Parts: sequence; C-alpha cells; structure tokens
Amino acid sequence: MVTTPTETPEAVKSGRPARRIQFRLADAADYLFVLPAVLFLAVFLVYPILYNVRLSFIQVTASDLLSGSVAFVGLKNYQEIFQDPLTRLAALNTLTFTVASLFFQIVISMALAVLYRQTFPGSRLMRSLYLAGWAVPVLVSGTVFKWLFDGDSGLVNYALRLIGLSSAPLFWTADQGLALTSTVIANIWLGIPFNLALLYAALQTIPRELYEAAAIDGAKAWSRFFRITLPLIKPALLSTLILGMIYTVKQFELIWTMTQGGPLNSSQVVSTAAYTYTFGQFEFGHGAALLNLTALFLFGATLLYLRSIGREGTA
Amino acid sequence: MRKGLFFRRGWHLTLLSAGLLFLFLVPLFWMVSTALKPTSDIYADPPKLIPLQPDWTIWGRILADPQISRFFVNSVIVACGTTVVTLSLAVPCAYGLAHLRIRGKAFLLGLSLGSLMFPAIMIATPLYITFGRLGILNTYPALILADTAVSLPFAIVMLRPSFRSVPKALAEAAQIDGCGRFKTFWFIVLPLVVPGILTAAIFTFLAGWGDLLMALTLTTDDSMKPVTAGLFSFIGNNVAQWNRVMALATLQSLPPLFLFLMAQRYVVSGLTDAAVKQ
Repeated sequence: MVTTPTETPEAVKSGRPARRIQFRLADAADYLFVLPAVLFLAVFLVYPILYNVRLSFIQVTASDLLSGSVAFVGLKNYQEIFQDPLTRLAALNTLTFTVASLFFQIVISMALAVLYRQTFPGSRLMRSLYLAGWAVPVLVSGTVFKWLFDGDSGLVNYALRLIGLSSAPLFWTADQGLALTSTVIANIWLGIPFNLALLYAALQTIPRELYEAAAIDGAKAWSRFFRITLPLIKPALLSTLILGMIYTVKQFELIWTMTQGGPLNSSQVVSTAAYTYTFGQFEFGHGAALLNLTALFLFGATLLYLRSIGREGTA
Repeated sequence: MRKGLFFRRGWHLTLLSAGLLFLFLVPLFWMVSTALKPTSDIYADPPKLIPLQPDWTIWGRILADPQISRFFVNSVIVACGTTVVTLSLAVPCAYGLAHLRIRGKAFLLGLSLGSLMFPAIMIATPLYITFGRLGILNTYPALILADTAVSLPFAIVMLRPSFRSVPKALAEAAQIDGCGRFKTFWFIVLPLVVPGILTAAIFTFLAGWGDLLMALTLTTDDSMKPVTAGLFSFIGNNVAQWNRVMALATLQSLPPLFLFLMAQRYVVSGLTDAAVKQ
C-alpha cells in the first residue's frame, strides 16, 4: 500500500510550543493536494496489482471467484505456464516482435529526424503531420492494417504484385508464417510518430555550429552523423529505446485487432497470451502468473530507464 | 542559377519529405478511400485508388443506425468522464509533487512512473472480478474508473514538469501577502499551467476515447459498448464489409484528429517533456 503519511504525528506528540505545532498542522494541509490521487492509485492500481500477485498463487475458476472459495497452490500456476507451449511461443514472439519493431522504428525515425532537422519549405508542417498516425486509436490502425494486408483485395498484395515481388496473393494475417510479420510492420508504423518526436527533440539540442565547424574541417555527412550526432544523443536514444521497449512489450490492442494471436497461436505475444488464458480459458491463475513475470521484466527495464533519465539530468 | 536556388532553399528536401510523408499516410488515406467506395468497388482488381464517385450510402446508413449513435454517446461519456476524473486528481497531485514539502514524494513519483510500465491487462482482470462482484460491469462508472486508473499516473508524470516551471517564489510571495494555500493554488499557480493541463487533458481524452481493452473486458452489453468495442465487433467475423468498417473507423478517428490538429504544438511538447523531463 501507499505509505504517504497524511499528517505529521511526531510533531504533535513531541509537545513543542503551540505556534510550532500549528505551523506543522498547517503543513499537513499540503497533503490534501495529493491525498485524493494517492487513495485512487491505492484502490485502482496498487490493489489490482497485488490482487494479481495473489491470483497467481491460487487455483481459481470463474465459479470460484463468485463464491470466494480458493485454494492456495504455491507455484503450480507458474510451473504450468512454463510447461505450456503457448507461453514459450508467446515469449519468443514477444522477443521477435519487440526487437524487430524497435530496430526499424529507431532506424526509420532517426533518418526522418535527421531529414527534418534541415530547414526547408514546409518542413515544420510535414513533420507534425506524422503525428496523425499517433492520434488515431490503435484499434483503428490495427483495423486498417488488417484491411491493407487482406489476402484477396489488400493494397499490400497489390503493391507487391505491381513491383513484381510476389504474384500469388499472401494471406498475411491468416497465414501462420506471416501473421506475426504483419503485426510487426503495423507496429513499426505505429511507433514512428512517437520516436520521431523524441529523436527530433534530441537532435535540436545539438548546436548547429558543431556541424558547421565539422563541415569546414571537411567531414562528410556520414561521418558527421556517426562522430557528432550519434554520440551526443546517445542518452536520449537510450531512453527512447527503453521507453519503446516498454510500450512494445505491453502492446495488446494492435495484435488483438489484427490477429487475436492467431492463426493457431502463431502471433501470440505475452499480453495476448495472458488475455487468452484469462478470458478465453478462464485460467485466471495462469494469466496472472504470466503477467507478473512480464511486469517483473518490465520493472527491470523501467529501473534502467529511470537511471538513464537521471544520468541525462546530471550530464 | 535557378537550379542553384532550388537546392539552396531546400526544395529538393521538400519533395523528398512530401514523398515520405505520403508513404507514411497511405494507411489513413486508404481508410478514407475505402470508406467512400460502393461495395462493388472494394474488391475491384486492380484496386481503385481514389473513389472518383464517392458513395455516401454507407455513411447515411451508419449515421442513421441507433446502435452506432449509442456507441458514440457511450464513448463521449466515457472519454469526457475519464478526462474530468483524471485531471481533478492529477492536477492537485502534480502541484503537490512539484511545489510542496511532502514526505513520500519520491515514492509517489516512482509509483506513478513505475506504473506506466504495467500492462493494462494487469489491472483489467482484477477490476473485472471486483466490478463483477459489485455488480457494476456494463456501467459508465466502471469504464471511467478503469480508464482513469490507466491514465492517472501518466497525467501526473506529464503535469509535474509544467508545475515545476512555475517559480516557487511566486507562490511563496502570494502566501506572504495573505493568500491561503488553496487560493494560491487556484488563482496564482493554476492559470500559469493551463497549457500543460490542456496537454494532459488531450492525452487523457485520447486514451479514454481509444481504449479497447477495458471496453472488451468490462462491457458485454451492446448498449454500453463504446465505439472501439463496436468497431471490434464489426471485424470479428471473417466476412467484414470493409467500406462499412472503414467508415466507422474514419468516424471514430475524427475527434482525435481534430483535437490533434487544433493543439498539435501542445501535443508534441507534452510527449517529449513527459518522456525526458523528470
């Protein structure tokens, strides 16, 4: 639970002069600003998370939940999900999904950020229009990509045929070998606006004089990028990467919209697998166990992120 | 030297950028394009890229469908409710974290930052069980509370830097002049952070508007579903009628796109501030 004190009892107990106590009590009123949010977070965030931990150690079915009778089973849920091929497939897919998404998101966004760092007519307007992709609900993007990847009339197949890459129609979201790839492509698109905004902001902190000086010294564009840009934005790049990793590992709605983890679980990631366990198989304990492990992993990543922010602040 | 001027001004980069931007926006273009086609044109081969004779019948049917209007009403109530509840909790809290001497500040900030990483499903399952016991599944409060739980930490994290940019001396001066702490907060500090609050409001609204997970988990009744769950049910079956699906997708993208166009400056600064300035 949240342990933020709502008053300062030791000041009252210690029996200091009245004026001092009054001052401290007045200070206690400051806590009224944070108290509502603290209470809300305690009930709707901390309690659910602890509840999830409890769920992972008990044997529950949908009817048990209503009656309230539960049996403590120790680590059984964890053992069972480790033996379940679904968990292993989901973990592997999450790794593929995350690494592939982040790699292309960062490379593409970085190239775009470098482009928009130049001043040219319309640069500001065009850069901000990328955010349209971010403003649209994830579910909508997922739906549109499902349609773009349609086997019979999808635009992607048409484009592939047009440039002569593939003549036979590919049933992307319905093909075991391609479903995950199609979600990765959609997710790369989804991440570009956010990554571009962060990386562009990072590039702006580099003084232009550095580039001018390097250009006078005869440095080529390529070496200016690797010798000046990259080292200087390394901290920002790191925090973009970690933030992106957290968002990508958490991604649920995009995949659920496009494939629901299918066909035959071929595009299950940890979040969709946990949802399948919980609301598809009503194995609440399995879903909770998988989510707890995911959260533990992300917790480590977040610590890394906070440390990288801290370092940036002191640098 | 006309060619030289073309390059010096950077028009070649404008062309390159326009091409890339167009490529990026193809999905959104295709969404609108499909939404304007008659059913017979959707499966045309080769595809008709631009609907030269837009067909509005599908739009007429969608706008006249009481079920779909209901989806939209639900979404408006849930997204607005989430925004109001989230901001009324987050704004004073962010002020407290930025300005006041409060114990456990680091812990509270850590909790808010840390909870950004939890998959929202972790909250969805316990809330489904608890709300089920309380008998409030399929209600607006259930959706608003659940969406607030997801949005609140982000709003706090996002608002804190804007409160920190207000000099503490200003609030102290007001208090010395006899202004109470609540009056100082309301009349002195709050007006200075309106842009930050606006940003947080936009983000919260967009999160509430776009939420699918809580909608799927906490509503089963069609009359209580927001438009995201409505669209999801349209694509659930394998024989999706794509012009109808894309029309509904376009329709539910309009409020976010409109908000974003109105306030894109705030959106960009909000995004980057929340990510790097803590």
